[in-house]
Amino acid sequence: MSEGVKILIPTALRPQVEDQETIAATGSSVREVLGSLTSRYPELGKRLFSEQQEINRFINVYVNDEDIRFLEDLDTALKPGDELSLVPAIAGG
Amino acid sequence: MSQDLSRYHRQMLLPGFGEDGQRKLLASKVLVLGCGALGTVIANLLARAGVGHLVIADRDFIEMTNLQRQVLFDEQDVKDAIPKAEAARRRIEQINSQVKVTAVIDDINHANIEKLAEGCDAIIDGVDNFETRFLANDCAVKLGIPYIYGGAVGTVGMTYAILPHTPTGDSPWERAGVATPCLRCIFEQAPPPGMNPTCETAGVLAPVVSIISSYEVSEALKVLTGNWDAVCPTMLSIDTWSNTVKQFKVRRAYDVGECVCCKGRRFEHLEGKYSSATTTLCGRNAVQLSQPTGANGKLDFDRIAERLRAHGTVTASKFMLRADIKDNGQQYELTLFTDGRAIVKGTKEAKTAKSIYAKYVGA
Repeated sequence: MSEGVKILIPTALRPQVEDQETIAATGSSVREVLGSLTSRYPELGKRLFSEQQEINRFINVYVNDEDIRFLEDLDTALKPGDELSLVPAIAGG
Repeated sequence: MSQDLSRYHRQMLLPGFGEDGQRKLLASKVLVLGCGALGTVIANLLARAGVGHLVIADRDFIEMTNLQRQVLFDEQDVKDAIPKAEAARRRIEQINSQVKVTAVIDDINHANIEKLAEGCDAIIDGVDNFETRFLANDCAVKLGIPYIYGGAVGTVGMTYAILPHTPTGDSPWERAGVATPCLRCIFEQAPPPGMNPTCETAGVLAPVVSIISSYEVSEALKVLTGNWDAVCPTMLSIDTWSNTVKQFKVRRAYDVGECVCCKGRRFEHLEGKYSSATTTLCGRNAVQLSQPTGANGKLDFDRIAERLRAHGTVTASKFMLRADIKDNGQQYELTLFTDGRAIVKGTKEAKTAKSIYAKYVGA
């Protein structure tokens, strides 16, 4: 999987992915990578996507350090070695 | 008024600080929102740094399980049933008598936050829920006050300094070219209840709280001394257990985004559009209720205590009343504040909390 994309899973969503912190995936866009991830882990899909199949607005998705909303959203291209971070707002304190 | 600055010597040696910076700090007023895990570290550091006036707002009282991470409190405070804001005021008085502390023992809501922030040079986030954070963000953008967000749960924390865009564009940070997107540019919505782990379900590691709140204070000191160029332009995310530190870029969120708050200048949270009369509290199986107390203002604790003694143990101070209540086979702990606010522990359901309140206090 050396040419794949690394997905970073936040604590809040780890129960839906068998407690993995990171998951390796392949795909050329965010849509493709998250699509294959959520077909492997349907419970994650329910948390991540709205009924309209958009990313829920309380979770941000970053490719490396850029928010995909301000790139090409789900169509943002990915290349080998990219990191995809799923980031919900942290509410505690 | 000339104050002795010698106690700040080590800090004044720092670049960008000096005596000028120290005098700016002493002349500053800061609103510390929340005085729990983050808030106690924030208040402690700001007081020691010599920030002249701290307004510390917190609705809560101190419990034994707070002492693991809430650095301004001790066992005696728990025994004495002292509210957090008041205990912090007393402690800070001993730490640095040059600092004035206004303790506000109240819920922070859309009706009072603008008044709390009036005349403040910065708002620092030590709260435990997103409703109050969006409220603070609205308030900061509307009034043109820097707001420093911080949150922590489990072993994870995030922090980010908001230097808000203003309609005139002539704030010192805009003139320095370093205004940043607001919290709603970055997070459009609060996570729904139950989605994120809370301090109760996931626990919370004291060091991660200390790191995030210390980082918030570091940003605050830059803001208060006018070192605008030094303010971090990215959002920091840290997990001390899996050893990840990430900085996310945010600038395009303002440039490209259509933020309702800082671009549209609509302050929906301040208008009370999303505020609720009940709030499920992070870290505890508890619901807070805001109840109007009517024309008489304050609750009559003596009378209520007398009634509640039939149901279980009751303790009262002049600030609060706490009662253990067994209802329908379930154990609850009811805490009342003189302004009519109540915290019902033992449920996450607003309706159950309202029912307990109505049954034992009266709606």
